[in-house]
Amino acid sequence: MRTAHWMPVLYAVATVGWAPLAATGQAVPRTIIVESPVMASGDTMPREYTPDGPNLSPPLTWSNLPDGTREIAVLCSDFGAGNPAPWVHWVIYGIPATADGLPEGLPILPETQMPPALTGAVQGLNGWRRPYYRGPAPPAGTPHIYHFTVYALDQPLGLGPGLDREDLLKAMDGHILGQGDLVPVYTRF
Amino acid sequence: MTDEQPKTISRRALLRGAGAAGAVAAASAVGVSAATGVAPKGPAATAEVQPTVRAPGRVVYEHLSADEADLLEAIADQLIPEDELGPGALAAGAVVYIDRALGGALSRSREAYRSGLAAFERYCRSSRGAPFRQLSHVDQVSALIDVETGAATGARAGFAGSSGAFFGMVRDHVLQGTFGDPYYGGNRDFVGWDLIKYPGVRTAVSPALQTALEAGELAANHRSAYDSDNFEKAVVRHTRKETHHGD
Repeated sequence: MRTAHWMPVLYAVATVGWAPLAATGQAVPRTIIVESPVMASGDTMPREYTPDGPNLSPPLTWSNLPDGTREIAVLCSDFGAGNPAPWVHWVIYGIPATADGLPEGLPILPETQMPPALTGAVQGLNGWRRPYYRGPAPPAGTPHIYHFTVYALDQPLGLGPGLDREDLLKAMDGHILGQGDLVPVYTRF
Repeated sequence: MTDEQPKTISRRALLRGAGAAGAVAAASAVGVSAATGVAPKGPAATAEVQPTVRAPGRVVYEHLSADEADLLEAIADQLIPEDELGPGALAAGAVVYIDRALGGALSRSREAYRSGLAAFERYCRSSRGAPFRQLSHVDQVSALIDVETGAATGARAGFAGSSGAFFGMVRDHVLQGTFGDPYYGGNRDFVGWDLIKYPGVRTAVSPALQTALEAGELAANHRSAYDSDNFEKAVVRHTRKETHHGD
């Protein structure tokens, strides 16, 4: 995948500069390895995962979860947008600790069930107050950075539907064993 | 992506059958009443409009082209679909309402519909690879979400302004056409009012009616406000000049 020359700089800012905001004051080791078969950190997101394409949620995988992980949550945030930042593209929590990733194209219709491996997982409210993934749609010519952050939790939190990012971060406070990021970029022309 | 087939097909087939005769009847009635109740304004009111001739037994649209009407029907079908609670926007004739209003009270929106529907179709083709009506149900919903949230604005489909503004206009008019007074051409056979259990306009309410209303037992009277002598068309015309009908 092509990567513009300034991407390493953006990626460094993304992974270092914003790391403290990803947690909730809790010192959290960044040990989780987050990957995707369709992109790597610093890559441009394929248009399939944006409104320039069918806007599917991207496939993610994770590994190196901390010992004692009992539940997983994932956020996708753009810290270069929103007032206040970040603009939130995806909130999903209650993911079983047995899951090793998320498949492409999680449901956007309320009547569609989650895949069996994700039974119990709930998609929370994004920045549009919708309970599903919506991909990057930055202003033309301005590259934006997207943090797909995976959180390993020390216990099932039993959270119901309707939580947004702030709600989730509060609920996870004190329960995060580790986290990791995948940080692609996207630019519209 | 899913292999789910567009549900538009079955819904449209339904319309071609049982609903088509009613649609034609409603359209004719609207044409008559609109001529007396709505003062046409702007170019659309004075230009010689060629009706869109469609298959026998189907609605004759006066202001929307056949392609525009098909697309708008499919959009309306997603916004207020028929379900276990009752008929949706299509059965209510919401698109008939919009078509007739584009020649009168909503004539200022005609260009917004022309350019917006064309941009919407371009957006569906560029982002999902097919015209809206050929997309799966989930892709239709997904495309509409992107238009509603404004995410489609920057996709170079040619929306004039925000795609969200176009969505908001269509949504508002579909709601008007589904739940407005049937006098204006939508809410055919009062299906919209029945859907929300609105018992109808009453100019006088007795204690017995009030009791029945509060108990949820007041039967719908299925009467337009303009069936009452208290609502005269001249009053409506005067009010419209001040309110611009929400377009």
